[in-house]
Amino acid sequence: MADSTETQTERAPLPLGPNPRFITENFEVPGIDQIEVYRAHGGYEALAKALKSFQPDELVEEVKKSGLRGRGGAGFATGLKWSFLPKESPKPRYLCVNGDESEPGTFKDRMIMEVSPHLLVEGVIIASYATKVHHAFIYVRGELLKAGLQVERAVREAVEAGFIGKDILGSGFDLAITVHHGAGAYICGEESALLESLEGKRGYPRLKPPFPAVVGLYSGPTVINNVETLAALPAIARYGADAYAAYGTEKSKGTRVYCLSGHVNRPGNYEAPLGLSLRTLIEDLGGGMRDGRAVKAIIPGGSSSPMLGADKLDLPLDYEAVAAAGSMLGSAGVIVVDDQTCIVGATLRMSEFYRDESCGKCTPCREGTFWLVQLVERLEAGEGRESDIDLLLDICDNMFGKCFCPLGDAATSCIVSSIKLFRDEYIHHVREHACLVGPGATRAHATAEAHAR
Amino acid sequence: MAEQVEELVNLTIDGRPVSVPKGSVVWAAARKLGIEIPIYCYHPKMDPLGACRMCFVQVEKMPKLATACTTQVAEGMVVITDSPQVKKARQGTLEFLLINHPLDCPICDKGGECDLQDFTLRYGPGASRFDLSKRHFQKPIPVNEQILLDRERCIACQRCVRFCQDVAMEDGLVMQERGFRTEVGVEPSAPFDSIFSGNVVEMCPVGALTAKSYRFVARPWELKRGATVCGQCAVGCNVLADVRVDKLLRQYSRTNDDIDDGFLCDRGRWNTDLANSPERLRQPLIRRDGKLQSATWDEAIALVARSLGEIAQRDGGEAVGGIGSTHTTNEEAYLFQKLLRVGLGTNNVDHFHGRFPQGDNDAQPWVWSDSIAGLERASHIVLLGADPYLRQPIIDLRIRKAIRRGARVWVVSPAANRLDRLAAGAIRYQAGQVGAVARALLQVTLSERLTRGAFAEQRQASLAERLAGLADATPEAVSAAAGCDAEALRTLAREIAGAKGAVILYDEMATREATGETLAADALDLALLTDNFGRAGAGVGPLLEDNNSLGARDMGLLPGSLPGYRAVDDEQARAELSAAWGVRTPEAAGLDYDAMLAGGVKALYVLGANPATHLSEEGRAALAGLEFLVVQDLFLTETAKLAAVVLPAVSYTEKDGTFTNTERCVQVVRKAMLELPGARADWQILRDVANALGLGWTYSNSAQILAEIGRTTPIYAGVSRHGLGQTGARWPLAPGATEADGQRTLSGSPFLTWEMLAQGVAKGRGSDQLALSAGRGEQA
Repeated sequence: MADSTETQTERAPLPLGPNPRFITENFEVPGIDQIEVYRAHGGYEALAKALKSFQPDELVEEVKKSGLRGRGGAGFATGLKWSFLPKESPKPRYLCVNGDESEPGTFKDRMIMEVSPHLLVEGVIIASYATKVHHAFIYVRGELLKAGLQVERAVREAVEAGFIGKDILGSGFDLAITVHHGAGAYICGEESALLESLEGKRGYPRLKPPFPAVVGLYSGPTVINNVETLAALPAIARYGADAYAAYGTEKSKGTRVYCLSGHVNRPGNYEAPLGLSLRTLIEDLGGGMRDGRAVKAIIPGGSSSPMLGADKLDLPLDYEAVAAAGSMLGSAGVIVVDDQTCIVGATLRMSEFYRDESCGKCTPCREGTFWLVQLVERLEAGEGRESDIDLLLDICDNMFGKCFCPLGDAATSCIVSSIKLFRDEYIHHVREHACLVGPGATRAHATAEAHAR
Repeated sequence: MAEQVEELVNLTIDGRPVSVPKGSVVWAAARKLGIEIPIYCYHPKMDPLGACRMCFVQVEKMPKLATACTTQVAEGMVVITDSPQVKKARQGTLEFLLINHPLDCPICDKGGECDLQDFTLRYGPGASRFDLSKRHFQKPIPVNEQILLDRERCIACQRCVRFCQDVAMEDGLVMQERGFRTEVGVEPSAPFDSIFSGNVVEMCPVGALTAKSYRFVARPWELKRGATVCGQCAVGCNVLADVRVDKLLRQYSRTNDDIDDGFLCDRGRWNTDLANSPERLRQPLIRRDGKLQSATWDEAIALVARSLGEIAQRDGGEAVGGIGSTHTTNEEAYLFQKLLRVGLGTNNVDHFHGRFPQGDNDAQPWVWSDSIAGLERASHIVLLGADPYLRQPIIDLRIRKAIRRGARVWVVSPAANRLDRLAAGAIRYQAGQVGAVARALLQVTLSERLTRGAFAEQRQASLAERLAGLADATPEAVSAAAGCDAEALRTLAREIAGAKGAVILYDEMATREATGETLAADALDLALLTDNFGRAGAGVGPLLEDNNSLGARDMGLLPGSLPGYRAVDDEQARAELSAAWGVRTPEAAGLDYDAMLAGGVKALYVLGANPATHLSEEGRAALAGLEFLVVQDLFLTETAKLAAVVLPAVSYTEKDGTFTNTERCVQVVRKAMLELPGARADWQILRDVANALGLGWTYSNSAQILAEIGRTTPIYAGVSRHGLGQTGARWPLAPGATEADGQRTLSGSPFLTWEMLAQGVAKGRGSDQLALSAGRGEQA
């Protein structure tokens, strides 16, 4: 695992150099969000090539060959997902683009949509062609107003330029694209809740099966892809599946846009091949830790992924290696936590997010997230009991695997992993009525006295 | 109904094998074995939801625990419902549900019949580990006129919300906010004014939704539950009448899948006044010195018998008449006409009903040929002047279910209808023009040669004449007169003719509109000529008015018809009845409802009817001026106030008997409470009057009367309470096998075929009797 970089070098020569940027290649170009600039830099040429050189089914094969996996979180093979659409269906089939990026620590889709919306639109058209879809929906998180407006404008420009509409570039392929702004719910990033929301209903996840590929939007067969996944398609069409698959690790091909945040000097989005080590990301790309502090914990894939200790710094960031380390690559939202951070406080903040974003459909998530926060709140305030720590774990056990959708499972990640790694710090809160580190540590004396009274 | 071979799936649950139809969920399979799997969000009448996470089971080869309500059975599946993991998961869910649930069971109306209370006792943790503060809401808040919501008690199972959205398909309760702030509520712009609202109270597994009428009124263990049938409209929903001592407190559904599908309407559910009203009559009244005054039963019965008997003796039976009820039981309707025909020698018996062609004493049953359940199999449902939402609500609910299954509904009505929103088409006409619209539909069918099927084939010769008779009913002509869209009429006629199965329903009372006289016949012809007849999911007929409107007709509360639609001049019928009754019934048809009230008789016996409400001042004066008027009712009605004698009767919850609903289903009505002191069941009163007339009737219970109906009324042949069972049977009935205990079963008829109608169902007449209404008699 750890030697994935070596595997890469063995596979040389790399067709596009050691650090290709399949997605962000032209992101620094001024005005790349305008169709003229985008086209001047090769924009929509990949679409023309895809329409001309590939039959839809061939394109599906090409994407399978590229090894592209979903960039939303679950990492499901994109080409395989497409092939689950039934060949024949009495209902129209749809492509839904999941731009409801809300996972804490994740901001890659937002950048793609804000900076280079045409890249997404081009990817959507290519994917629609491959999946024989004639109506695609782009669901943009409501709070990402600029992203939504950029995508809307890009779609308008693409319509005017003839890339969307009837008989696109003389291929005989027709496509309409609708851009939809969400109304502000994390749960709508869950694909079936996104469909409900698109249909104008309350954002509740749907019972599966049937899966969206069979019964999706308006009961039609539906494929749902993440923004970053689709933004990779123009490059795959342009450079070929093999060029894309030449990067990354054995089962995690290509590049990812890593969202680096937390206590690093240069937080931001960094595109790099899958398998990049955490250390490289933090030290080389992120410019090291702020104020030269030490790493305390890393959350590798958005707040839903269990946190890892500083001993995992040499972990290659690909789907398999992160999973083997007990977490998940998820949305590649890498949150770095330094040694001056109270882990109970950080956990409380994350738990509050899940409590507030739980849709309330299923009992364990609705009530469990409420209870968890109350307990962590009490612990963080120095008012907790030692038994609360095991109670937290048991509540998490009663939630994990028992909720309706992955949100409930996700809500347990930070609690279970932080207790596993930092139980002593929790106990410190109980015994000393104060935090171990950070601003809460200084209140130790006063609070202890208060308790003595 | 056509036999459907269901594919069975074999599995084991807790080591016990069970076979259930493919597509069933594990919960249903367990239930079949008598293994309880606790549920909150799941409801057998709604799609699986999987939200409450209560019904966990372990399924071999599945990595996680599965929810039994969402997991479909599979061949060879091995399910365990009581493993330690399952127990812990259920405890976990209950603990979660209880952290925000108030522990106010002692003052909660649901206490004693609460699923949260019961399941906590059976599957829950003994104590809570939650020692923080619960979420609080203002409690309770009204969600509509009849229902209150206590949000603190709500466990957010969504049953009520899904009922509103998925079953009733109406505005109403919705989920609001999210996460732990989730609450059930009503959007101010979309009030919860559904006639089906009470169902959410019944479905609520906890005490969150309670009925104002039942709040703090009783504890469930004090209630006696009587399994009976609703006495309101013609649907005949099965109810559990919950009685505490001498008050009917509430009615819950006693699920009959073929009739009510497990739901009740508010009209029926909250109608407790018939039983409880302080206005009820508690003793007989006799007019003395111009005023109605208390009397004993002996006095009253003797006076009624003497007065009626003397007038019949003096002026002949024709001088006496009876107006019967659409609310009383079949047994009582039967005794009423028997009393008039046998005891007083007259066919002057009728009731208030729609206008159905009844030529030449020829009694044809004007009845819905299919069934409520059959609606689910229809491709088209056409409502002609019918508004089931208001008049037969649970049929409206079944139509909504049919819509979910793809049926196209056409609402042809004079005013906006609650089904418009879900309908494939709506045609509005000027009030009174329903008959013209029906004629136009028939005109299009014939002029565009849309007829099909054997019935039409065999009558090709008379079709032209039928069409000629409709010359004034072209869509254009009708559109001009009735103000409806001619093209829409054409479209509808074509849809009916092309339907896989169309059900055409008209309201009984629409036949009383200005042009409604031919409505019943035209609708019947429309269905017959387009082959929409004689199978489940296709048919035609009236939606009747009251709980026993059909029973009243069946039992012969008609001047031209003996029980079972046998004409009063049907020699064979008269011979059979004289053998049973010991007296030959009069041969001439009697006076009908209007004729009796228009001064045709000198003495009138009104049972469970209130004609004064639709009479003019003059008509009421005539009623008051009768030589003798006796009224038998629950209340001192407008008619009763004019009577010489008033006899206090009891409501349907206070007596035994049978009702026949609008789809021919004969159902057992069971006494759920004691009679109001001083009042008597109609059949008892009728028996006593008959005996005072010297008829020597020996009935001591309604079952004996029912047995006599089974011997004298061919369409009810062999009827018995045992044979009708819990869910009833649709006539024509026939005796079935004899069971080991000597009890006879009954076989019913889910739908009528035109051959059955032609053979008179019971009349034993030739098939040309069921010719086209215009071509009647020309088919020989």
